[in-house]
Amino acid sequence: MIETIPAADAATHRAAQPASAAAARGRSRRGALTPYLFVGPAFALLVVFGIVPILVAAGVSVTDLDLRGLGDTDAVRFIGLDNYRRLFGDGEFWSALGNTGIFIALGVPVIIVGSLAVAIALSQSSSRFFRLLTGFYFLPAITAIVAISLIWGYLLNGQFGLINYVLGLIGVDPVPWLSDPMMAKFSVALVAVWRASGLNIVIFLAALQSIPKEYYEAASLDGAGEWRKIISVTVPLLRFAIFFVTVTTLIGWMQFFDEPYVLTRGGPTGSTTSISLYIYQQGFQFNEFGFASAASLVLFVIIFAVTAIQLRARRLSHD
Amino acid sequence: MTRLPKVGAAIAAALMMSATLTACGGNEPASTDSSMLKVWIMGDDGSKFEQLVEDFTKSSKIEVDVDAIPWDNVHEKLTTAVASGNGPDVMQIGLSHLPTAVDAGALADLTSVINAHPNLAADKFLDAVAPDKLNPAGKTLSVPWISDTRVLFYRTDILTEQGLSGPPATWEQLREYATKLAARGKGQYGYYIPQWDAPLPAQFTWQAGGDVVDASGKINLNTPEFKRAADFYLSFYSDKLVPTASDFDQTQGFISGAAPMLISGPYLATAIKEQAPELAGKWAVAPLPSDKTGTALYAGSNLGVFSKSTNIEASVKLLNYLADPATQLRWYTLNGELPAVKAALNDPTLTGEPTVKVYVQQLTNAKLLPVTAAWDPIGQKMLAALNEIALKGANPDATLAKLHQDVNDLQK
Repeated sequence: MIETIPAADAATHRAAQPASAAAARGRSRRGALTPYLFVGPAFALLVVFGIVPILVAAGVSVTDLDLRGLGDTDAVRFIGLDNYRRLFGDGEFWSALGNTGIFIALGVPVIIVGSLAVAIALSQSSSRFFRLLTGFYFLPAITAIVAISLIWGYLLNGQFGLINYVLGLIGVDPVPWLSDPMMAKFSVALVAVWRASGLNIVIFLAALQSIPKEYYEAASLDGAGEWRKIISVTVPLLRFAIFFVTVTTLIGWMQFFDEPYVLTRGGPTGSTTSISLYIYQQGFQFNEFGFASAASLVLFVIIFAVTAIQLRARRLSHD
Repeated sequence: MTRLPKVGAAIAAALMMSATLTACGGNEPASTDSSMLKVWIMGDDGSKFEQLVEDFTKSSKIEVDVDAIPWDNVHEKLTTAVASGNGPDVMQIGLSHLPTAVDAGALADLTSVINAHPNLAADKFLDAVAPDKLNPAGKTLSVPWISDTRVLFYRTDILTEQGLSGPPATWEQLREYATKLAARGKGQYGYYIPQWDAPLPAQFTWQAGGDVVDASGKINLNTPEFKRAADFYLSFYSDKLVPTASDFDQTQGFISGAAPMLISGPYLATAIKEQAPELAGKWAVAPLPSDKTGTALYAGSNLGVFSKSTNIEASVKLLNYLADPATQLRWYTLNGELPAVKAALNDPTLTGEPTVKVYVQQLTNAKLLPVTAAWDPIGQKMLAALNEIALKGANPDATLAKLHQDVNDLQK
C-alpha cells in the first residue's frame, strides 16, 4: 500500500507535466483523484474482506455469541473480556500455541533452505529433463489436499502403511508415524514441507532468472568457485525473493491448518493441534463463536506483530 | 497451505447474509407452496428416500423435494440455515447433532399438532427415545426416525482357537478373554478402543450402574460409577490389551484378526461384508458385556420441522407417514437403517436375521447421551483426559480432578 501511492502519484505527475498551465489546473484536480481511482478497488476489497471481518471478529469476541445467538440476536450477551480471560487460562490454547511454534521451527527453515537449494540446482540447466523436474516439484502444490492426505495417510499408517512395510523388509520395527505424539509432529510437518516447497521453488527459479549472467562471469574471472558464487552473488541478489518467501511462509505456518486437520485431526492427544485448528474446533465444532473470535484475534495480533518486526528488520538492513 | 478462513470472516459473512435477507422483506419462508415440502436427508444419496415417499405423494398430493446432505456438511448446513432463516421444512437430525439443533432454536414445537397423528404417539417408539428424554420439558421438537446402537463384534474362529466358547457376557469375562487373546503374540491384541469414541466411557458408566448426568440434569462425572468405568477403560491400556496407535484401523484390525473383539455399530458389519466377504461365518455380534447392566448407546436419527417452516401441517403429515411401521420396514429394505418404531422392530424381516436380531435386542437396552449442547465439549474433554492417562502416562488422580473442574467450569 505505502509503496503504491507514491508510485501512482509520480506517474500522474509525469503525465500532467507536458500540458499547458491553464489546462493543467483543471486536469491536475482530476489528476489528484486518479491515484485514488487506481487504489480504490484494491482498497474496497481490503476493507470488505480484510478490515470489516477483523472488526466484526473483535466485536464478536466480547460477546457469548453461539449458534442460538445467530438465529436470535436477543440471546447474545456482552461479556467484556471474559473470553480472553478464559482463553489465557485454557491449557489447550497454550499447548496449541506451543505446537504451532514447534511446527514453525521445524518447517520454515527447511522450506526456505530446501526450496532455495533445489531452485539453484534446477537453474543449472534448462534442458527438458530439468524442466520436467521443475514440474514434478510443483505437482504437490496443485494437488488437492484431500487426495494428498489420503495418500500420505496410507503411506504413513502404522499398521498397513507402505513406508512401514518397506522398513519391515530391511528389518526395521514399525514406526508410529502418526500415532506417537512427537513423531506425529514431524510427519505432519514433513507433509506440509513437501506440499509447500513447489511454489517457493518456482518463486526462487523466477528470481534466479533475473540475475544477469555477467555477474557470474565476472565472479569466475576473479577466480570464484561455484560455492563462492552462490554465497556472494546468488544469495545477496535473491534477498528480496528470500524475504518474500520468508514472510509468506511464516504467515502460512502461523495459520497452519490443512495438514493436521486432514491427517491427524489434531491428535494424538492434541499433539498436532495448531492454533488455527484449535480455533476451528472451538468455533465450528462447539459453536463458541465469541470464544473462537477472541482466539482468532489473538492469532491476528501475533501474526501482525511478527510481520511488522520482519518489515522493520528489512528496512533496517536496507539503510 | 491454504489459510484457515478467519472465523471472524465466516461470522461476518453469516451476519451479513442474515442482514441482507432481513432487509429484503423479512425471512423468506422455506417454501410457500403448501403442496411442496422440502426435506433434508443426511447421506450422499437422496434417491432412495424419493422412492420411499412416492406413495405419500400419491395419497396426499404433497410433493416432496429431497436434498441429500453429506454427513460431513451437516453442521455447516445447520449453521447456515439457522443464521439465514432459510432451510428445509423437514430435516433429519443425527442424535449427536440434536442438542445443537435444539439449542439453536432450529426446530419447531410440534406439541399442538402431533396428537392428530396416531403414528407419532409416544408409546409407538422405543423407550430410549421417549419424548421426555429427547425434548426440553413440555415440548416436542423432533420425533424418532431411525435407530442405531452398539454391540460386541467378535471373531468366532479366533475365540474358538483359543478355547473360548461363546462371546464374553460380563466385564470380567471381557477382560479375561482379551488377556488370553492378547497373549497370542506380538502385534496381536485382545480388544480395541477407538480413541475418538467419546460415547464409550459414558456407556461404561451406564453399565457400572451410574449416569453422566445428575438429578438436576447437569453433567457430572465425579461419581463412583464413572470412576469404575474409567478404571475399566484404562485397565485395557495398562494391561496392554489394546493397540495404542491412534491410526489403528478398526475394520482392518478386525479382519486381520489383530483386534478380534470390539464394540461398534452396525456400520462395521456393513464394512466387513464389503471389504472381506470371505470372512462370513467367522464373526458374529453379541449384546454388550455387562457390569451391573449391559446398556448400550442409542444412536440414530430423528426428524424435525425447521422453525421457520410455514408448512407445519403438511410436514407433520409426512412425519406421520414416515413413522408408519410399513414405511419404516420399507426403509430398512431400501437403505438398511433400523426402525425406531417398536411395531416395526418386532417384524420377522428383522428378527429373522441373526445379526439384526442382536441389534434389535440391544436396542431395548439402550440409552441416549445427554441431549444438551454442553455434552459435546465435555465428552471431548473426558476423552482427552482418559487418553492423556492411557497414552501419555499422566497422573490419573490429578488428571481426573482437573477434568471434574473443567466439567464444572464449562457448565457455569
